[in-house]
Amino acid sequence: MNIFLRELKANFKSLLIWSGIILLLIVIAVGKFAAFAGDPEMLKMLDTMPPALLDTFGMRAFNLTTLTGFYGVMFIYFGLMGAIAAALWGSDSISKEERDKTVELALVLPVSRSQVVTAKALAALVNCVAFVLITWGISLIAVQSYTPDPAFYKFLALEMQAMLAIEVVFLAVGLLLGCGLKHYKIAGPLMVGIILTTYFMSVATALDKRLDWLKYLTPFKYFDAAGFLQSGRLERGYLLLTAGIAAVCVTAAYQLYRRRDLYI
Amino acid sequence: MSIIEVSQLTKYYGKARGIVDVSFGVEKGEIFGFIGPNGAGKSTTIRLLLSLIHPTGGKATIFGKDVTTHGPEIRRDIGYLPSEVYYYEGMRVIDLLKYSASFYPGDHTQRMHALAETMELELNRRINDLSYGNKKKVGIVQGLLHSPSVLFLDEPTAGLDPLMQRKFFNLIREENARGVTVFFSSHILSEVQRLCNRVGIIREGRIVEISDIRTLQQNNYKKVRVSTDSTAPVVFDMPGVTHVQAENGTVHFFFKGDINTVLQRLSALRVTDVSIEEPTLEEIFMHYYE
Repeated sequence: MNIFLRELKANFKSLLIWSGIILLLIVIAVGKFAAFAGDPEMLKMLDTMPPALLDTFGMRAFNLTTLTGFYGVMFIYFGLMGAIAAALWGSDSISKEERDKTVELALVLPVSRSQVVTAKALAALVNCVAFVLITWGISLIAVQSYTPDPAFYKFLALEMQAMLAIEVVFLAVGLLLGCGLKHYKIAGPLMVGIILTTYFMSVATALDKRLDWLKYLTPFKYFDAAGFLQSGRLERGYLLLTAGIAAVCVTAAYQLYRRRDLYI
Repeated sequence: MSIIEVSQLTKYYGKARGIVDVSFGVEKGEIFGFIGPNGAGKSTTIRLLLSLIHPTGGKATIFGKDVTTHGPEIRRDIGYLPSEVYYYEGMRVIDLLKYSASFYPGDHTQRMHALAETMELELNRRINDLSYGNKKKVGIVQGLLHSPSVLFLDEPTAGLDPLMQRKFFNLIREENARGVTVFFSSHILSEVQRLCNRVGIIREGRIVEISDIRTLQQNNYKKVRVSTDSTAPVVFDMPGVTHVQAENGTVHFFFKGDINTVLQRLSALRVTDVSIEEPTLEEIFMHYYE
């Protein structure tokens, strides 16, 4: 319990910083939306652009002149932000003890390594949930002047659930790297590498039908904003896949951390 | 049964040697000195005992429980002072001590204050602002506040001024008088000599000697110095004589064995001066290192 609370406190600054970043993103994006809102000229202009370019940014599936369509395009940025933040919280909460050389202090206490991982994982999860709620809250306030319809609120709710699911996957992967890697310096860069790779995979699937199978490898594709805008729900199969990946990563993380030598 | 029992404990870091086949036992209530040069494997041994790292071979038990499988349980009754202390950012001394105390059952507030007073530690200071020696004091209080029955001290005096060192030694002696077992790792022999009952000497990852500190000094070696009038150096070529140094008619050597053989040899000489002394631990130590 004490580890959990200390961890929350230690993570709080990072949560504030990420919240600041997401606030900035939303404010700027919604500001840009002012130029698109209800302007049919904008649609014509977009039509003149190469389709591949539009696909890259997921802009063909949505009507950018509506708030819902605009937020559909925004989803990938929320997903990316959530992924990076969650992954870093996951890996950092374990590896920072070794980086700051406090691991000796932390693990000479009468607690098992599993207890330590549990406390840290839960604290990071709290951060992830808080980050989604903050993104949600900021969004609700930011779009008020466009008097959104009920459909928008429903879509936003789905987007936020999907964002949380993506966070959970990357949190679990981050935790695995933090627990598994003895050399803490690799964890961060490796994590960023994994996120960028999976992100570009998701872009690639949109560009070329032959790469469609990649969609199983990239969590960013599990929850496709255009898909759940139409169906009105997140796909259950992918939710299960998310839970499965997270479970495997977390189990492996516990096992590896229990067995390995701490880097002192 | 020994309170700490180590048998054939071996640790390799990949191919690099940590410790090899280390075996020893520490009895309840004793102060066991663990000495050896830097990199000999002292900290490795302690970290294995605290299950911060896991052995490549062999096993170790504390309170009769295996250290790798019963870590948390064992650590409830162990105090540890690492050779270098690091703490979390932005905590005050009191925050850290309370945090640490909260993991051990019972209320330790009173003892915490008493220990802080003995070690002259200001509880409201930020740890980051403390000097190295003061951080070490935090570690001492932290390691002792839950009244553990076994203490692991890894080069504990580094960073403490002589006055504090004395207070610290008194504190350890007090604890020991209450029945606390102390495992004291150091490369500074004088402090081991001051405090310990028994010593284990470790060198290049292997134990080279375990012995009572008195036996080590008394029974093993004598330092003999003989001066004569004659300019030709006297030759002591009997068994047990080592490290012979001769200069200006004076001969120094170490002797191990029946001292009467030296005395007989001396009685046949005309000596101007003789001394037979106990070697310092330092000299014994150097002998083991060579």
